[in-house]
Amino acid sequence: MNKMKKLLSLLILISPIVYKAQGFQVNLQGQAQQAMGGAGTALIQDGAAVFFNPGGVSFLKENSVNVGATPVISHGVFLESNTNATGTTQSPVAFPFAGYAVWGADSSHKVFSRFKFGLGAYTPFGSTIKWQDPWPGRFNLTEIQLFSVFIQPTISFKICNKLGIGGGFVYATGKVDLQQDLPITFQNGNYGSGIIKGNATGYGFNGGIYYKPCNKFSIGLTYRSQVNMNVKNGTATFNVPSSLATDFPNGSFTSSLPLPQVATLGLAYRVNEKLALAFDASFVGWYTYKSITFKYADTTAQLQNTVLIRNYQNAYSFRLGGQYKILNNLYGRLGLSYLISPVKSGYVTPDVPDGNRLNIMAGIGYNLGKHFAANASFTFEDITRKGDNSLSIIPTPGQTIYPLSGTYKVFIYAPGLSVTYKF
Amino acid sequence: MKHLIYKSIVIALSVSICCSCKPKLTAPAPSKGSLDLTSYVAIGNSITSGFADGALSYNGQMVSYPNLIAGQLKLINGVNLTFNQPLLPQGSIGTNIVDSAYTNTKYIYTAPLQLGYSTDCLGVNSLGPIPVATVGDESAVSTNIYASQGPFNNMGVPGARAIDVATVGYGNPANGIGNYNPFFTRMAKNQTTSSMLSDAMLLNPTFFSLFIGNNDVLLYAANGGAPPTTITSQTAFNTSINTIVSTLTSNGAKGVIGNIPDITALPYFTTVPWNGLTLRQGQADTLNGVISFLGVNYVFTAGNNPFVIYDASVNTPSHARVMQSGELVLLNVPLDQIKCHKMGTLIPIPDQYVLTATEIQNIKTATSAFNTTIQSVAQAKGLAFVDVNAFMSQTQKGISYDGISLNAQFVTGGAFSLDGIHLNPIGNALLANQFIQAINTTYSSTIPQVDATKYRGILFP
Repeated sequence: MNKMKKLLSLLILISPIVYKAQGFQVNLQGQAQQAMGGAGTALIQDGAAVFFNPGGVSFLKENSVNVGATPVISHGVFLESNTNATGTTQSPVAFPFAGYAVWGADSSHKVFSRFKFGLGAYTPFGSTIKWQDPWPGRFNLTEIQLFSVFIQPTISFKICNKLGIGGGFVYATGKVDLQQDLPITFQNGNYGSGIIKGNATGYGFNGGIYYKPCNKFSIGLTYRSQVNMNVKNGTATFNVPSSLATDFPNGSFTSSLPLPQVATLGLAYRVNEKLALAFDASFVGWYTYKSITFKYADTTAQLQNTVLIRNYQNAYSFRLGGQYKILNNLYGRLGLSYLISPVKSGYVTPDVPDGNRLNIMAGIGYNLGKHFAANASFTFEDITRKGDNSLSIIPTPGQTIYPLSGTYKVFIYAPGLSVTYKF
Repeated sequence: MKHLIYKSIVIALSVSICCSCKPKLTAPAPSKGSLDLTSYVAIGNSITSGFADGALSYNGQMVSYPNLIAGQLKLINGVNLTFNQPLLPQGSIGTNIVDSAYTNTKYIYTAPLQLGYSTDCLGVNSLGPIPVATVGDESAVSTNIYASQGPFNNMGVPGARAIDVATVGYGNPANGIGNYNPFFTRMAKNQTTSSMLSDAMLLNPTFFSLFIGNNDVLLYAANGGAPPTTITSQTAFNTSINTIVSTLTSNGAKGVIGNIPDITALPYFTTVPWNGLTLRQGQADTLNGVISFLGVNYVFTAGNNPFVIYDASVNTPSHARVMQSGELVLLNVPLDQIKCHKMGTLIPIPDQYVLTATEIQNIKTATSAFNTTIQSVAQAKGLAFVDVNAFMSQTQKGISYDGISLNAQFVTGGAFSLDGIHLNPIGNALLANQFIQAINTTYSSTIPQVDATKYRGILFP
C-alpha cells in the first residue's frame, strides 16, 4: 500500500499560479500606481497610499473614498519536454480588488490635522488556475483558487512638513481550494480525485516612512510583515473507488501558509509641473516558504499528512513609472517592472510556473470636477518558465523520479478601473 | 457624448480582443534520425502481444508496448506506418491458453482477471483478483485469422521462448498438445511451414524490436522449477538469438533489443511471504507435537513462521523442510489449502508452487548469461539496446512519473497487472518509453515519448 501513501504525499499543493507577480503575490493595489509599474512608495497620489506607504497618507490633501477592481485574465499553456503532451488552462477570471478610505481633520485643527486615518481592503496574494482535464500534470494539480483579503486600519502622522510616518494593523482572511486527480482508477476508467478546501486567517502589520526634502524629490520606505495564514478546519474530500473509501477518509485538515514580508524603498522625482517619475525596489522574503504541510484529522496507512517542498528563494522586484499631465484633468501613465522569481529550478510546479518577468503597464487618470476621479490601468505579462518539479517531490527510498518537465507559458492581462470620491 | 460612447466601445472591444490573445508553445518536429520506418515488426512474447491480467484481450493488445511505440513513430512527419496486430474481436473478454499442469492432454482456456470480492474457506470476504468469467473466450482464438487480418507487424506470441521464434511449425496442431502454440496457430500464415521469424520476414522489416527470452526462464520459474519444465540451455539460447538477429538484419534493417528482467522480482513471486504461516501459541504447540512425523526439525512459535515445503533434494522420506528467507512462494499457490487444509504445515507446499534457493540461483545465473548474449549481439550489430532489467529493478524500488507513484507490489504497486507478471497499460507506456529512449540514443532520432499519464493502472471496484 506504499503507493497510496506516496500518492497522497504528492497530493495537494498550496502554492498557486499567479495572477500577478512573483510567486502568488498580487501587485494590483491601486490603478494610478499600477499604471506606473506598481511604483507608489514615494509618489503619494491617492488613498492607495494606505497600502503603498502608510507614512505618506498624512500628506494626502483631501479625504477620499476609493474603490477599484482589476479583472485578471490569464491564458496558460504547457508543453511537456519528453512527450510533447500539452496542457491548457481554462482561463478563469480573477477579481483582485482594492478599496481605501482616508480621513483627517481639516487644517483648522492644529494638532489633529497632522493625523490621517485610513482603512484599506485589498488582495495582496492570490491565484487562480484551472487546467483543462486531462493534462499531463493532472496528478499534481487540476485546479487551484487561492484568495486573500487584507483589511488594514491605518494611522498616519505628519511629523513635520517634510516627514511622515504611518502604520496599520492587518487582519487577513482568505480561502484555499485545491484539486487534483489521484492515480487510482475506477472500474470505468475514470480517475479519482482529491479536493481540499479551507478558510484561513492571519495577522500582520504595514508600516512606512515618507520623506519629502524638497518639492521635486521624495523618498519612501515601507515594511509589510509576514502573515501566516492558518487553516484551522479545512475539509479534505476524496473521490475514490468504494473499495478504497476507508483508506481515504473524508475529513478535516489544518495547515499554515506563510505570506512573505515585503520591504520596499521608493524614490520619486517630479521633473516639472507635468512629469513625475517613480521608482520602487522591493525585497520579498519568500525564503520563509520552504514547505507546506497538510495535517489530516484522520490519517490511515494510505492517507498520510501531505508535505510539499517548495524551498523558495527571496525575490526582488524593480518598478519604474512615469506620469504625465496631458491636460489639467487628464493624466497619462506608463510603467515597467522587472520581477525576479522566487521559484528555483527543480521546483517548477504547475501551481506556480513562475519565472523572471518584464511587465509593461499603461493607464490614464481623469478628474471629473472637484470631487470625482477615475483611474484606469492596463497590464500585460508574459511569463515563460522551463523546468521540472524534480526537487519538490520527496522520494521514497530508492525511488526514481520522472518529474513533470516542460515549458509553461502564461499571458496575463489585467485591465483595471477605480473611482475616487474626494471630500 | 456620442463620440465618447463610440470611443468607449472601441476601447472596450480592443481590450477584450487583446486580452483573448493566447500564448503558444510549439513542439519541435519529431525526426526519425537514421531510421528507415517503412516497415516495423515487433518480435516477442506475451509482453509484446499486450497480454495482461492473465489473458490476451483486445484492450490489452491496443496498449501493447510495440503498438504504443508505433503510435509515436507515426507522429514523425513523412512516416507512413501501418502496425497491424492480430487483434481479438473488440467485444471479446479474451482468453489465456494453458497446457494444464503440462499434462499434454488438452489446452484449457481461462478468463482474464479483475479486482473483485470473493469469500475464502474461512468465510472471510476480501478484495482480490477474480476471473471475469468461468472460462476464457475460446472462440476468439480458435480460427486462423491470417487471411482475413494478416500479415501482422506484432509478432508477439504469448508463451514464446527465444528458442521458439525460428521454429518451423510452432503453430502446427499436428505436433500434438504441448508441442505447438495455439496463439501462433491463430495468426500464422501457414501452420505447417511458418515460424514466427519467417512470418515476420514476410513484411520486409526495415526496423524491428526484439524483446524475447523471459520465457526461457519464466516457464521454469512459474512451475516452481518442477519437472518437466527446464531452463533453456545457454547454447540453444545463443544460437536462437544469433539466428533471429542475423535474419532480421539480413536486409540491413535497424532495430532495438531488450534484455531480460530478473523475473524473481515480479509480483508473482514476491507477494506470498516465505514466512506467511501465522500461528497462535496453541496452534504452534499442536504443530510442534506432530511435525516430527514429517522429519522436519523446527520449533514453531506464535506469530510468523516459515511454511513447510516439499523439496526433492531433502534426504528424508517426506522430502519436507521449512522455507528459508529469500525463497519464494508463487502467487498461484492454493491459498484455501493453506488457510483451511494444512498446506504449508502437515501437507508440505508442493514443488510447483515454490522456488527454492537453488532454483532461484539457477534462474539468476541463466538470466545473467542470457543478458550477456543479448547485449553482445546488440553491440555487434550496432543495434539499440534497452536495459529492461535495470528498468524493472527501478520499478521494484519505485517510480514517480508525473506525480504517479508506481512499484512492483502486487495490486497496490500499480505497474503490474493482476496476473503479477505482465504490465498494466501505464507499465507498458513506461516500457515503451525505455525503448524509445534507446532508439533515440542510437539512431539520433527524436521520437517523442508516450504520455504515460494517459494510461491506467489497476481498476478498483
